[in-house]
Amino acid sequence: MLLGIDVGGTHTDAVLIGRQGIVAMAKIKTDHDNLLVSIRDALESIVSVAGPEGVSRLNLSTTLSTNAIVEGDTEPVGMFVSGGPGIDPVLYRVGDHYFTAAGCIDHRGEETGALDESAVVQGMAACREAGVSVFAAVSKFSTRNPDHENRIKELVHPLADYVAMGHDFSGRLGFGRRINTAYFNSAVWRLYNRFVDAVQQSVLSMGLRPRINVLKADGGAMPLSMSRHLPIQSILSGPAASVMGIIAICDIREDAVILDIGGTTTDMAVFAGSAPLVEREGIAISGRPTLVRALRVKSIGVGGDSAIQITPQGVTVGPKRLGPPMAFGGAHPTLVDALNVQNVIAYGNVAASFAGMAALAEGSGLDPETLADYAIAAAVNKIREEVAGFVREINDRPVYTIYEMLEGRKVAPAKVYVMGGPALALSALLQDAFSQEVVVPENFAVANAVGAALARPTFSVELFADTARGRMVVPSLGLSREVGRDYDLAAAEADALALLREHVRYLGAEDDEAPVETVERSSFNMVDDSTFLGRNIRVVCQVRPGVLPQYREAVTCPC
Amino acid sequence: MSVLKAARELGIVFFPAFDWAISPTHPERQERLLYTLDQLKEEGVFDIPGIREYKPEVAGEGDVDRVHFCFPETSGVVSPSHLVSAGGAIRAGRLVMEKKAAKAFALVRPPGHHAMKCVHGARGFCNINIEAVMIERLREEYGPLRVAIVDTDCHHGDGTQDIYWNDPDTLFISLHQDGRTLYPGTGFAHELGGPGALGATVNVPLPPGTSDEGFLYVAEHLIRPLLDDFKPDLVVNSAGQDNHFSDPITDMAFSAQGYAKLTEILDADLAVLEGGYSIQGALPYVNLGIVLSMAGLDYSHVREPGFEPSRVRQGSAVTDYIRRQCVDIRKLVKNPPPRQRSGEMVGEWFVRRKTLYYDTDHITEYQTESVLVCPDCPGVLKIESESSRTPLCLGVQIPIRACPRCRSEGERVFTEGAKSGRYAVSRLIDRAGKRYERVGGVAVG
Repeated sequence: MLLGIDVGGTHTDAVLIGRQGIVAMAKIKTDHDNLLVSIRDALESIVSVAGPEGVSRLNLSTTLSTNAIVEGDTEPVGMFVSGGPGIDPVLYRVGDHYFTAAGCIDHRGEETGALDESAVVQGMAACREAGVSVFAAVSKFSTRNPDHENRIKELVHPLADYVAMGHDFSGRLGFGRRINTAYFNSAVWRLYNRFVDAVQQSVLSMGLRPRINVLKADGGAMPLSMSRHLPIQSILSGPAASVMGIIAICDIREDAVILDIGGTTTDMAVFAGSAPLVEREGIAISGRPTLVRALRVKSIGVGGDSAIQITPQGVTVGPKRLGPPMAFGGAHPTLVDALNVQNVIAYGNVAASFAGMAALAEGSGLDPETLADYAIAAAVNKIREEVAGFVREINDRPVYTIYEMLEGRKVAPAKVYVMGGPALALSALLQDAFSQEVVVPENFAVANAVGAALARPTFSVELFADTARGRMVVPSLGLSREVGRDYDLAAAEADALALLREHVRYLGAEDDEAPVETVERSSFNMVDDSTFLGRNIRVVCQVRPGVLPQYREAVTCPC
Repeated sequence: MSVLKAARELGIVFFPAFDWAISPTHPERQERLLYTLDQLKEEGVFDIPGIREYKPEVAGEGDVDRVHFCFPETSGVVSPSHLVSAGGAIRAGRLVMEKKAAKAFALVRPPGHHAMKCVHGARGFCNINIEAVMIERLREEYGPLRVAIVDTDCHHGDGTQDIYWNDPDTLFISLHQDGRTLYPGTGFAHELGGPGALGATVNVPLPPGTSDEGFLYVAEHLIRPLLDDFKPDLVVNSAGQDNHFSDPITDMAFSAQGYAKLTEILDADLAVLEGGYSIQGALPYVNLGIVLSMAGLDYSHVREPGFEPSRVRQGSAVTDYIRRQCVDIRKLVKNPPPRQRSGEMVGEWFVRRKTLYYDTDHITEYQTESVLVCPDCPGVLKIESESSRTPLCLGVQIPIRACPRCRSEGERVFTEGAKSGRYAVSRLIDRAGKRYERVGGVAVG
């Protein structure tokens, strides 16, 4: 059986899934200052119902790294950056121990300037002084040639408990993202590993012997052992878990929009071409973009707790939140209060909602019911507009070939799935607003934990080969090897797929659980003065986020 | 939180056409913008707050027919790739006109500045003039605009010059390697525009070996004042990058730093990529420099590998020559000689005869261009054109602010021409009435 635990900001949800369906569920308040307690409580609650046997896999989605980064509760990192010409690397400064060294690798992976090792040595002295013991090394175009990052690691190693290298995280380009990713990874490395030690101990002490995976922001899973080196990959996994849950529960197969209406925001994701859409480059955290793959999720400033206001432009809902709904003791009427007034729901103290709405309506010429009506309509319209804008934005993403320009597939959602507190209450109104069918699944309360439990491993490999230089690299696997002049796109694609399959097996998945696919393949003839020099080959293969097929039926219910 | 933030909003329409080439080893091939994309991605340009990447539109044949006389038909000379690159320029123009961005850069291929008013095929790697298609679309949508085009490609922008030769509302300035030493062999200082638009065409031929010093001198001392005098609503930079010292098909000595500074001086609203074929050693760095400069960001660290200013610095003879050129050209533009060498008056019409060679498609075109010299408007344009592939055709254009007489004269010339049976194809571009017609060889009505 598969156990999924999602440690969220407010609640920790757990669900145990067998081949026949959901065996046990638990919902506990999250102890923000001690996530381990929340996890232990969730485990105990499940074990008390189902016993420790039979749990073959535990998939854990946790906010530990996210919280640490967002709250700045991280360890100082010695950051060594070699930039080469371009944007001044000083402008990417992050943290208090940021050192730049001259040195340059160009776009083909050619060293065009030697690494200034003396600058690294100087920075090390400063780090020793400051007691810094985790490091990160990033150079420009290290995904084409990691020599400078490797060299920096060698140099700082004697001082280090841990050194992250930029090319470990992704083969994608993005110097600034690489710096942020490596930096944050080192900044939470120790904290995360201690936490994971404690989680493992708790699991064992309860008599459980599962394989443990950790959820990622792309809705996929990675083995706990791997997450120890790449804790940054565990950030912002919560929203992805919910999306994966709904996909499993509703067995979504055609293009669709998924809305999660929460307290302060409504999060939307898009399912297209048989998988949820992934961010093109990576997700941002604390205002800094990273190379961490994530589902493309956009937040709208409308939720159950969004404040209602009367403005010269009309009645608005959100994006401001002025405290909880009046039905729950707040001081300002919110969307939940409007729904109470309109009798759509009866949450908390309905009389308080009425009183609040009446007070707000006073002097506006509106009666409380009409004001509530307007507010609900404003919220629904805002959601509809934002969804349309989101789909438009997705279809307007840049493409680089004439073929894609003219023949590219357009995303055309056929259904809108809605979950979250006010989902059912708003469903009829949303149905009026959307031309697509609006669906509110029954089981969405633990969708996040279901998503966590059923997530399959995801991974992507980016292969880059330059036959003129005679080299092929796969940065995220730390692979670099010589290739002959006859190495071509077919050979490169075969290599990339084989390497990915092998890695996915190492991640603990069977081939049929985690199908691999090629998402980008290109080979450019390099020509100089009308002479063919070689091929510049790029291949990207991946396992897309998806739900483990064997358990899909167990959780699917009519939606 | 990030220190990097664009001082002004920049929209980049990036379209490298990774599946299009003139031929596998042609300079205009799939690989051309590959390393530029790598560099821009690696630098994180699209992550900088204030810089955004946009997808091109696809221009329609109607956009082409508003500008060009394509013979024998538009679909025969225009491919989807050209419609996408022109559409990229249009999207960039729209971003600025709709104030979604302060500036925009269409980093697109294939290029367009050698495409002339009449199009029988490809010249100098160009089929349709993507800047002109964009500008005329903007004029159609947003009303008459005074537009200045500064063509900084190493090759003379002869196509753009031809299209705007008789348009006093479009200032066309081209600086390029001297036509005596490089394709297309035109763009001399005395080429100043048609009789109704004298001084609205400005050519600055530069000697081979001109480096940063020379380019920036011309930009500051000649182009900047001309732009200030003209008071354009929109400045478009045809941003060719083949003046770079490493370009394989030219002989200049310009650098990435120089391009970034030039961009700053021109302060164009829109840049549209033209040529530039040093795809590894120059384009990634030149494009990065232009992007940073347009966004008002620090570009001082942009430096191409192997750049030593002393090695490419221009000689003092070049410096002196360029300074004298600037003085002479300024005089010429201010006081153009009244007698035009380019053609002759026939009645009220000023007539030029041209023979044009389409080097990419190996076509020769014979053309008679007549413009009605009108005191009240830019005047009706009439072109008779035949080529080694297509028999005699007629093109008639009524300008946007045509006077009533020119409107009816244009109508008459087109209708009579179409009826006469003399022309395989007759085309009308009526900008005043927004009518765009094409008639086959058979008589109408």
